[in-house]
Amino acid sequence: MSCNSSVTRVNVSSVGQAQRVPVHLLPCEIEHNGPAQVSQYLTATTKDCKQEKMVSFRGRGLKGQELSCPQGYTGFVLKETNKPGSDQEDRTVKVSSVFDKLTYWNLETPPNSDDTVVMAMDWPELAEAIHGPVED
Amino acid sequence: MATKKKRMPNMQNDSWVVIAADSAIDTQKHDSEPAFVRLRNPVTDAASLYMLSDGDVQLFEVKAFEEDFHSWFVGQTVQRDGRLLFVTPMDPLYLMLPYLVKVGKEGKFQPLDQVVMDEDFPACPRLLSCTRALSSLHHIAEEKEVGGVKFHRYSQEKTMNWLKKKVERTVTVLKARNISVGEGVKSTTYIRVKSESDYHPEDFLRYAHGILSEYLSEDLSKALLKHLQLPELTSPKEPEPPSKKRKLSELPVEAEEDYTKFNSADFARKPPKKMTAAQKSLAKVDKTGMKSMSSFFSPKVKAEKK
Amino acid sequence: MDLSPFESDNSVSCRLASQIPDVCRTEDCCLGIDEAGRGPVLGPMVYGICFCPVSKKQELKDSKVADSKTLNEVERENLFQKIDESKSYIGWALQILSPNTISTSMLQRTKYNLNAISHDTAIDLVQYALDSGVQLKELFVDTVGPADKYEDKLSKRFPGIDVTVRPKADSLFPIVSAASICAKVARDRVVKGWSFSEDMGDVEADYGSGYPSDPKTKAWMLKYLDPVFGYPQFVRFSWSTAQTLMDSKGVTVHWDDDDEDGEKGAQRQNNKSMLAYFSASAGGKDQTSTHQTHRFFTERRLKSLDAL
Repeated sequence: MSCNSSVTRVNVSSVGQAQRVPVHLLPCEIEHNGPAQVSQYLTATTKDCKQEKMVSFRGRGLKGQELSCPQGYTGFVLKETNKPGSDQEDRTVKVSSVFDKLTYWNLETPPNSDDTVVMAMDWPELAEAIHGPVED
Repeated sequence: MATKKKRMPNMQNDSWVVIAADSAIDTQKHDSEPAFVRLRNPVTDAASLYMLSDGDVQLFEVKAFEEDFHSWFVGQTVQRDGRLLFVTPMDPLYLMLPYLVKVGKEGKFQPLDQVVMDEDFPACPRLLSCTRALSSLHHIAEEKEVGGVKFHRYSQEKTMNWLKKKVERTVTVLKARNISVGEGVKSTTYIRVKSESDYHPEDFLRYAHGILSEYLSEDLSKALLKHLQLPELTSPKEPEPPSKKRKLSELPVEAEEDYTKFNSADFARKPPKKMTAAQKSLAKVDKTGMKSMSSFFSPKVKAEKK
Repeated sequence: MDLSPFESDNSVSCRLASQIPDVCRTEDCCLGIDEAGRGPVLGPMVYGICFCPVSKKQELKDSKVADSKTLNEVERENLFQKIDESKSYIGWALQILSPNTISTSMLQRTKYNLNAISHDTAIDLVQYALDSGVQLKELFVDTVGPADKYEDKLSKRFPGIDVTVRPKADSLFPIVSAASICAKVARDRVVKGWSFSEDMGDVEADYGSGYPSDPKTKAWMLKYLDPVFGYPQFVRFSWSTAQTLMDSKGVTVHWDDDDEDGEKGAQRQNNKSMLAYFSASAGGKDQTSTHQTHRFFTERRLKSLDAL
């Protein structure tokens, strides 16, 4: 378990350069890491209806909604700056983007409170109950 | 349609989408350097990922929301890894307990720094720097001071009282957030309309105990169950399927209503507290029936029209 | 023909219609149905109906409305002008199925194929005429799929109406030919004036016929392929031409229902992620642990990590 000694530091000073960006969670796996014309294609064709947003991606209908970060929480995108050669060396990640809400998309299904990502947002408040200090 | 390609492994992931407590990544303090570290998970006994804030004052847990077939758009980029990481505050006592319990079996008072150490996990002693670790240690251990040096000994009694308070706090939040705590078949998908009053107080206690057991050794979990005066379930533990989600196209409004009515009238009754294996399999049959019921109600799809 | 209702949102399907001639509400009428743009990989598919009193059939024939496929664009526009001028006894209605509607329907979890879309659209248009008070007695349709089956389906759906489904009906029955002209004119205009809702700058408008076999269309498809998004909504993603190009030049995208359809795929997906959970919850090297992650976490797809 030698790799247990490695720690990954978060370079918080990078937050100054981090941009506030829109983030979208998609119901498909895109085999790619890198640039994409998100605003030109996705944002430009997204339709806002009362309860939901609609768009299509690769010819498939998506329905989604915005989800705010839980109170007291902020969204970050962390990026590893230079990967060390061995797994025992310390690593560093920087904050590359910041967000306070995300848009998640379902394939065809209208967004609702049973969606797993909506339910996952229960976690911080539950964690507070489980981990918060108890009185004597 | 064209041929389907095999999924290639995502080898070189170098970016993560995270939702973190503001206390973990303090954007006001630009010179702080919180760090992800590995510590021994009290349940699995294996390594899990945690975060220590700058100066090791606070501990955080890292959990990933992970569903197959997901990716992110972040600004003008694609990130293939569709996980969402949560960094939430964690009580360091949960991680210290296994060490105290182990040494406590000898019944001696010992200095903490000789207890909270682990040769497999070099970061372990850093737990002692957490403000909460020392200030709340009296919840799980007795303390003696000799010649200005503090000695501690694990106390099961104190620990049980402390955990009971944790359970109670958890129950409060479960109720406030209207989280469905019913057993097996009545899980979220089908009877989410149920309100707090439809559940037995024991359902909440048991559920909260289950969540807390994610941080406790099997022995402590059993002891806590006893302390909460909850009878141990005798039926063999069966994996519960995660709640099934309707993946079909949307149901029309009328059908949705029918469906709910049908549900609450015929299926929402509480199953008996202890289910025999036979009852369990019966319950499963019910659920399968309901599944195909949902597809029965699914609409004839039509192109959008104006 | 005012296309603005469709052009204001060309991602959805849209109905356009003429005034209903008064005489069609009082006299027995015939109605023709035809479509335009079934094959192209670009642009909408347009369904058209035309109707007039049975007594006016000869007049219609004399106006030289012929099979729209044998006409050039100018001739079609002129004939449409003629149809429009005869609004005292000829009515028409169109359903413009946007390429986005076609893509998302055909690629839906529960697949909705083009024949089913065509039949439903035709039926809806006939129903529209009936609802508007047109005294329908005869129905002439160019065939989609086997003619006798379709004829049977329409006869059952519209009892009391004499249904004729024929291949090449547009060259046999002037009323079908008229419907064909309306549909084709609308499709041509829409394709020509397509406004891209994507932010693509100046898009080259020379996309050829839109048929995959047209070299101009092929060149356009190659030029405007985006590796991540594939194409603008002007393209029918459900066409194999588009799929093949994206497969070879775009990044691969996986959906949970790939390879399987509908419920089966969703089911498999559920089972798979469940298994993934139980194997993961054992936690790294510890094989003896019998701990089962609590359902609060499994239901929320939350799990511990052992590394970043």
